[in-house]
Amino acid sequence: MADIVLDHVSKSFGKVRVIDDLSLTVQSGEFIVFLGPSGSGKSTLLRMIAGLETIDRGRLLIGGRECQTVAPGQRNVAMVFQNYALYPHMTVRENMVFGLRNIGMASDEIRRRVEEAARILEMDQLLDRRPSQLSGGQRQRVAIGRAIVKEPAAFLFDEPLSNLDAALRVRTRVELAELHHRIGTTMIYVTHDQTEAMTMADRIVVLNDCRIEQVGTPMEVYTAPASRFVAGFIGSPAMNFLPVEVINSDGQALATLDDGSTIGLPPDIAGRGRLDLGVRPENVGIVGEGGMTTGKVKVVEHLGDRTIVYVVLGDGTPVTAQTGGHSQVRAGEVVGLTFDVEGARLFGTDGLAQDQAAAI
Amino acid sequence: MIRDAKKEWLIALTLIAPFAAIYGLVFVYPTIDMFLLSFTDAPLIGAGDYVGLENYTRLTSDRRFDTAVWNTAWFVVLSVIPGTFVALGIALAVSRLSGRLQTAVLALFFLPYILPVSVIYLIWDWTLNFQFGIAMHIFDALGIDRIPVFKSATWFIPAVALITVWWTCGFNVLLFLAGLRAIPQEIYEAAALDNAGRWKTFSRVTWPLLWPITALNFTIQLILQMKIFDQVYLFSQGGRPNDNLVMVYYIFQRAFQNNHGGRAAAVAVVLFFIVIVVSVLNFQLMRFAERKQ
Repeated sequence: MADIVLDHVSKSFGKVRVIDDLSLTVQSGEFIVFLGPSGSGKSTLLRMIAGLETIDRGRLLIGGRECQTVAPGQRNVAMVFQNYALYPHMTVRENMVFGLRNIGMASDEIRRRVEEAARILEMDQLLDRRPSQLSGGQRQRVAIGRAIVKEPAAFLFDEPLSNLDAALRVRTRVELAELHHRIGTTMIYVTHDQTEAMTMADRIVVLNDCRIEQVGTPMEVYTAPASRFVAGFIGSPAMNFLPVEVINSDGQALATLDDGSTIGLPPDIAGRGRLDLGVRPENVGIVGEGGMTTGKVKVVEHLGDRTIVYVVLGDGTPVTAQTGGHSQVRAGEVVGLTFDVEGARLFGTDGLAQDQAAAI
Repeated sequence: MIRDAKKEWLIALTLIAPFAAIYGLVFVYPTIDMFLLSFTDAPLIGAGDYVGLENYTRLTSDRRFDTAVWNTAWFVVLSVIPGTFVALGIALAVSRLSGRLQTAVLALFFLPYILPVSVIYLIWDWTLNFQFGIAMHIFDALGIDRIPVFKSATWFIPAVALITVWWTCGFNVLLFLAGLRAIPQEIYEAAALDNAGRWKTFSRVTWPLLWPITALNFTIQLILQMKIFDQVYLFSQGGRPNDNLVMVYYIFQRAFQNNHGGRAAAVAVVLFFIVIVVSVLNFQLMRFAERKQ
């Protein structure tokens, strides 16, 4: 177990900057997820920690040791690749043993570790097979096994579930979380799948455009997104952004929508002027009469346990509402909308949440 | 849709027929004829009388045949094994380059392969000729005695093998490079994380994964080099052709210079079987080695 510190690291590919002066501390034993869209630099960042990409500037400390110039094999980290990267000509056992032999480990210790990993991952039967004789899920296990036997200071996962089918992905996700509980080693996990991030992470690092947008626990990131990007990226369906004018009126904050209707905001909410009001779909209610505003229903999606209703306000602003599974709303109806503004956020034109902007 | 088996057969036959006819005419028929010819005393043109196995029994005491067999074997050893390893080495080096530089370097290595053998002959004659070869001037400058490379039985086959490796290795480099590119980069990254140094990565990852390509390369070259003729023929001009004989050259000599069609056919049949036996043996050995890995 070890903590990992990234201290003002930068990385460019030619003239393209992919990581820009980034600093982050991963606590020892923590399960941290790098979440972001394609091209956000999350995989590059992981590969920089692994040593597969060089670090142009800044320092990397693994367990207190400076590692930015250390060879990948000497960093005491193990990586699970998206395509598993198993050696196709070696058996499962040989795949696991290869790295251990390279560091001159005694064969008794190697045998103990392989047996232990095979037991943890329930793959005793597979040890003498080659990767081509295994299913996708089994290969995934072997890749994890190859990492476990090293007993590394940290595990690095590069979108390891993206090649599995939906059911297996859910199962493996749970198993990975269990594994983390059991061995307690630091894990860094890269994904673009917010569900994976929300379900497994102790903390999520949201990356966008070569930099960190927010670091926080899953609930912090969900309930108090630091930027419009984070708010839109996390949560499905995505958060609604309503253009509003926020004013103070008799000590109360009032938001006026573009269709003229007004919404009362909590008095302590930061930010005044022309802003975007962010409201999660589950905080938008659909009522027959007496709503804060009205809109026309475009599409209704029945998902069984919940119903997603896509509404367009009078001024053309789209709003997504999430209601119970038995909603009777139909497309084409004009409905009233209510907004539970307790969890609402205001975002400025720079994309930052207003309380964040105020804090800066 | 219901399949009309008869119609499908007819279409298949129509499509195969042209190939089968040409193959029969230019390969199967001459091969059978060669076998039959080898049991006769026929001259180059025209039929001969049946002589049984005489053409074959004669080979056992034929000094020129002996020379041809050993020279061919020596040439194969000197061209196929170094040719494979040189090509592998170049491919490994070229694969470390990228972009246009890689293309340019690859083109340089491939360039000799597109040259006809007559040009190869001229280039190397200018280089190694005893009287005016560039190499001889370098030997003079270094104070080494000049070597009559193409006139000496010791140097002839090694020199032709070297020239052949230089000439043909571009193609082998290409094959190896294709094989190297087929190995996913992630496997090398996994090896780097597994603490494998450069030699370990080559011996435990690249070499085994490249084995099918190496086996293919080896087999192709083996078959090709056992049929060596052009280079030996050209470089023997004005030299000692009887000491430099290889199998195909001997067949040529017997048939076209000595007018012994039957005896030439017998040598050709022997070569035919050597090629088959060696290729099959080589293929099996390679498979065995692959399984062992």
